[in-house]
Amino acid sequence: MATSTPTGSVLPRDEVLFDRSLRTRWRLGFDRWIGWLLPLLFLVAIVPIVDLVYFVVRAAYPVLSWGNLTNTQPYANQNGNAVGLALIGTFDLMAIATAVAVLLGLFGGIATAEFLSERSAGWVRTSVNMLAGTPSVVVGYFGYFAFVLYFGWGLSLIAGALTLSFFMVPYIFRTVDLAYTSIPRPIREAALGSGARPYQYILKVGTPIAFPQVLTGVFLAMAIGLGETAPIVLTTLPSLLVPSSLNSGVTFLTYLIYDGFNHPSTGPGSNELAKAFEAAFLVMMIVIALNVVVRVFAARYKKRLEGLYQ
Amino acid sequence: MSGAAPEGPVLSVDHLSVVSRDSKKKILNDISLDFPPRSLTAVVGPSGCGKTTFVRTLNRMTELTHSLRVSGAVRYLGQDIYQSNVNPVLVRRRIGMVFQRPTVFPMSVFENAAFGLRILHESDAEIDRAVTEALVRAGLWDEVKTDLNGSALALSGGQQQRLCIARALAVKPRVLLLDEPTSALDPAATQRIEQTMLRLKEDVVLVLVTHNVSQAARVSDRVAFLHSGRLVEVGSTADMLERPKDPLTEQFITGRFG
Amino acid sequence: MQVLGRIVPWIPALIPAALVAAVIWELLLSSGLSLRFYPWPPVFHPPQSFGWEFFGSRWNPAQNQWGIMVFIVGSFLTAVPALFLSLFIGLGIAIASTAYLPKVMTQFLDPFVDLLAGIPSVVYGIWAFIVVAPYFGHVVNPWVYDHFSVIPGFGGTPPSELGTGLPIGIFVLTIMALPITTLLIRDALQSLPKDLWESGLALGATRWEVMRRVAIPHSTRGILSAALLGFGRAFSETVALAMVLNIQSGYPVNFYHGTATLATWMFTNLDSAYGNSSWLAALSEMALVLLAISLTVNLLGRRLVSSFIAYEIAGL
Repeated sequence: MATSTPTGSVLPRDEVLFDRSLRTRWRLGFDRWIGWLLPLLFLVAIVPIVDLVYFVVRAAYPVLSWGNLTNTQPYANQNGNAVGLALIGTFDLMAIATAVAVLLGLFGGIATAEFLSERSAGWVRTSVNMLAGTPSVVVGYFGYFAFVLYFGWGLSLIAGALTLSFFMVPYIFRTVDLAYTSIPRPIREAALGSGARPYQYILKVGTPIAFPQVLTGVFLAMAIGLGETAPIVLTTLPSLLVPSSLNSGVTFLTYLIYDGFNHPSTGPGSNELAKAFEAAFLVMMIVIALNVVVRVFAARYKKRLEGLYQ
Repeated sequence: MSGAAPEGPVLSVDHLSVVSRDSKKKILNDISLDFPPRSLTAVVGPSGCGKTTFVRTLNRMTELTHSLRVSGAVRYLGQDIYQSNVNPVLVRRRIGMVFQRPTVFPMSVFENAAFGLRILHESDAEIDRAVTEALVRAGLWDEVKTDLNGSALALSGGQQQRLCIARALAVKPRVLLLDEPTSALDPAATQRIEQTMLRLKEDVVLVLVTHNVSQAARVSDRVAFLHSGRLVEVGSTADMLERPKDPLTEQFITGRFG
Repeated sequence: MQVLGRIVPWIPALIPAALVAAVIWELLLSSGLSLRFYPWPPVFHPPQSFGWEFFGSRWNPAQNQWGIMVFIVGSFLTAVPALFLSLFIGLGIAIASTAYLPKVMTQFLDPFVDLLAGIPSVVYGIWAFIVVAPYFGHVVNPWVYDHFSVIPGFGGTPPSELGTGLPIGIFVLTIMALPITTLLIRDALQSLPKDLWESGLALGATRWEVMRRVAIPHSTRGILSAALLGFGRAFSETVALAMVLNIQSGYPVNFYHGTATLATWMFTNLDSAYGNSSWLAALSEMALVLLAISLTVNLLGRRLVSSFIAYEIAGL
């Protein structure tokens, strides 16, 4: 079998570059078709996310107003769509939970990165992964049995906030650990070699280098905490008032979303449902904003690290 | 080898230019060069002169870098490999390539050498035969014949590189492009690869990119000297190294830059 | 002083371990198990410990029956199909993004998958319940019922118009596990050195052949970890699933029926359990079962991935 080429000479078949054999056509055709078909799978991710964002924005848009955002009396407005109460509640929960989680995660992370042997640090990191892998409803149960019942705090702001901090600790811990571990060895040795005490090195040298990454960890943890629902629903009591003490009930954004599901019978356009989508819009915006900040920071930090290693 | 080798060059490069789409910089500028049968051509030049880009255009590997635009023609047995109805997959089967660092796949020695044949769904008997032949030709057979099913990653760097050569040979290419194949190896391993190259050039057209003039002197028949994307001079190895015509070539081979 | 210096750092470093221990401890105390293992009184005094009957199929508080097998089955019934779907879709997306699409396209498309990871689960829940469920109720479920009712489990009682139940539960879990599987597999595939990818192509292989014979075998660990962590996510998902699953305490009679998973049952039952110590104890013991399964899966999955990618996926 031979085919002539543009130059007119005759070539053996397997030297010809436009092979038309069935096997070759199948191989090349399969590669081409799969190259068209596989990217279509992106639709499985894109269609839901676009539909979800579109629907939430469309449902939230009519009720979104400055008045509704700031009014803390849920049923004061004519249309009863005020979410100010939930915004304050979420802020309270997040503030306490973040403070607790930063305190625990920061010290833990620094201690693990700076003072433990590689082997011990490995065990500690496994325990952090265990904490991150604990299902949210299980932590909610812990909060309920320990804080609500055993300590007798009842369904309250403090019980919810402490439960929430369980979700944030592992992320802060991990990023702090990573940030201090990845400080280049020479910098560390130079500081300690010139007579600095370990704590002086951490405060004066380590922290300025690690700070941006620590901050991304805190933002990431806040994004995680903000989206949590089950554990706080289990450990708090919805309230019509702004929390006045640690033992008060509290209404928060994700609760409003869950509540919209509990009262759907009044149909779309009902107060609960509109409020649910309003809350969903707010939560999504804050979470996405936090994620964007994290990504920008992380990208910047990566660059800086690369610079340090050169 | 399949079929009788036609007369004339196996591979001929005709007014080849490569332009970077981003910086509009000409990486290769109007290169014309023929590769006759039974030859080993060394492409030498200072780093950054475009010699790696040059060999990568010879089997359309440049296409993997989207920012490069190739113009001109590269003819394999008279067929332009950049013609629109030619698929690069078929080009690369005929024009093999070996890279700077050994790139063995994480599988057994045998499966590495058999890779190109497995995808063609050759019969097991044919694969056995071809793998043995390729390993012998690459000068690796004696070292691995007792342990063909051992992991290829357990081999030394030099052995891995010869396995890469064997893997490329197993699909019986007529041309083999070697992109600084010894730059990551120690002198002993380099010497073995050079012996392999000398044996292979009897039936495969070899194109060797190297920054090492003495290596070119040891193994090549012809030397092509590239400088800033231009083909400055090409000629037989003896002529080029002893009587270079161009002052740039002379400067390079006497080690004044590069 | 030396000894003190070595001990003090352990105190903050052990915080996560202490928190996990506290969770397990408290659940042991409040469940019936504590009676067997620990002499001191639990928070509530459960009247009995459940024994092996706990893994029975009957859950009936009125008759003091606490079998959780229904919920274990429900968890697997939702998580396993969702995992397989999201694993294959994730593999496809990862392959397309690594080998087929030009960089300009992936820069535009990849963030959608990242975004999917950032949406809180309750938002998925309300969206699925309000927007997607009617579609399942009117279109998907009736179509499946009309065409596949001969298959056992797909016939019987016609699906309700509400659309909640197993199919939409699997759908929601698939979408929620998708970013985890996709990002982990993509990371694994992209870790194949560029040289290896090129030398595959230089042998005359097509992109698909290099993918199938070199890149995918090279990424086995990554794919396995994607499977485990994706399963962990699906298995312990709570709120979104509770909103679409049409919670029931019996085995589903067919594909379209409601069911409950361990997590959703625990979440929706705590209110009713208040004051009933057996009920609370049964729920706590359920929590321990859920915890044991998800911790095993998570730790196994995490052993196989680099810490950096885990850092990049929110919620992992």
